[in-house]
Amino acid sequence: MKSTLYEGLIQYILENQERFYRVAYSYTRHQEDALDAVQSAVCKALEAHESIKNADAVKTWFYKILINECLTVLKKRSRLVLTADAAEQETYCEKGYEQGDDLEQELNKLDIDVQGIIKLRFFEEMSLKEISAITGFNLNTVKTKLYRGLKLLKENIQEADL
Amino acid sequence: MSKLDKMKEKYDGIPIPEELTIRVQQEILRSQRQQEEKDNAAHRNRFRRIISNMAVTAAAVCILFTAALNTSPVFAVEAAKLPVIGGLARILTFRSYETEKDDIVVAVEIPTIEMIEKDTGTSVDGINQEILARCNEYADSAVLRAEEYRTAFLETGGTLEEWAKHNIKITVSYEIKQQGNDYLSFVVRGTENWTNAYNQSKYYNLDLRTGKLVTLEDMLGSDYAKLADRSIRQQISERQNAGETFFTAEQGGFTGISEDTKFYINQNNDPVIVFEKYEIAPGSSGEIEFVIEG
Repeated sequence: MKSTLYEGLIQYILENQERFYRVAYSYTRHQEDALDAVQSAVCKALEAHESIKNADAVKTWFYKILINECLTVLKKRSRLVLTADAAEQETYCEKGYEQGDDLEQELNKLDIDVQGIIKLRFFEEMSLKEISAITGFNLNTVKTKLYRGLKLLKENIQEADL
Repeated sequence: MSKLDKMKEKYDGIPIPEELTIRVQQEILRSQRQQEEKDNAAHRNRFRRIISNMAVTAAAVCILFTAALNTSPVFAVEAAKLPVIGGLARILTFRSYETEKDDIVVAVEIPTIEMIEKDTGTSVDGINQEILARCNEYADSAVLRAEEYRTAFLETGGTLEEWAKHNIKITVSYEIKQQGNDYLSFVVRGTENWTNAYNQSKYYNLDLRTGKLVTLEDMLGSDYAKLADRSIRQQISERQNAGETFFTAEQGGFTGISEDTKFYINQNNDPVIVFEKYEIAPGSSGEIEFVIEG
């Protein structure tokens, strides 16, 4: 029944909101932006709940919306940053997520798609198949991007260690 | 890669701002509200279908109702309590129960219309069935909402003890407005004591001669909207002069009635239009009523 899918979606959102926030924060690295992204993702998901066909797809479906919102927030911000002082960029790095870690720094240098795939794989512990459903890349592309990204990370870190 | 593990640890440690739950909850409440409006509209349509199918289903429903009434001990007790107030029909409590689970109290009193004179040739089974379905549906969804609230409350660090102190109570009850020779008018209400967002009230006005629900148009004629609007506007300005506050049109105040506007019929057989709390005036004013003298 349609309404139980709706109730299921609400349940899913309530149970996983902290995960959503972490994903959003890892993308935006800014508390307010991450909250905005989660809130608009929840809003859009609930508005479009009728497009969910089965309960199993809720997770990948929601993450797709969420990541889309994160990218939208980032896009909006890059427009802002272009016109603002370069120094202001610094303010987007919040405490508790310092740039100190070299791996983290390297990760953030990667292409945003690749970053996303690595985060979903290792932080959200998703299967490659789920990542493929979320990002819209086919499975092989996800694999290629993931392994290329990891290789790049390894190389860059070793270089830094030298 | 242990560095990745370290990073994962850090990722899992990203502090969650308190605001998150609030903002997520806000979206959910807003969506549920819209959803409910949609459901209500669907329900109205379904109700129309029920009425049109009434002839077909009447026989089946009749058996069901008779069986239920006769096997319900509550019915017997409740029926004994109620005096018969003349007329052709009366309102009875069809089913009344109170349950408690997870410190959520549900108190339900479902009314039913009983035609006293059996040979009037009218049938109210369709209406009774709708009342029953509506009450059950409301109670079920309210319990679900309360359970969700409980889950969220406990998951965000609330204790069972604190939860119990919330004294969550869901009530479905009815109030008779008029039980006379011409009309039967009553309201069925559903309330949740922890939120106003889902409170529901549904007015039933039954013309006893036809066995049909009465509309404002039936009461006031085809010019009913104009007539009622004029009277309400006049009463609002009178009350404003007396110091009462109403929302302006821009604030979402009174803009005119529609065929869905709620009303009941008072002892003088005049329609009384009812606006819910917050609908056209601040919450402190509660429900607001306007008697429309035809």
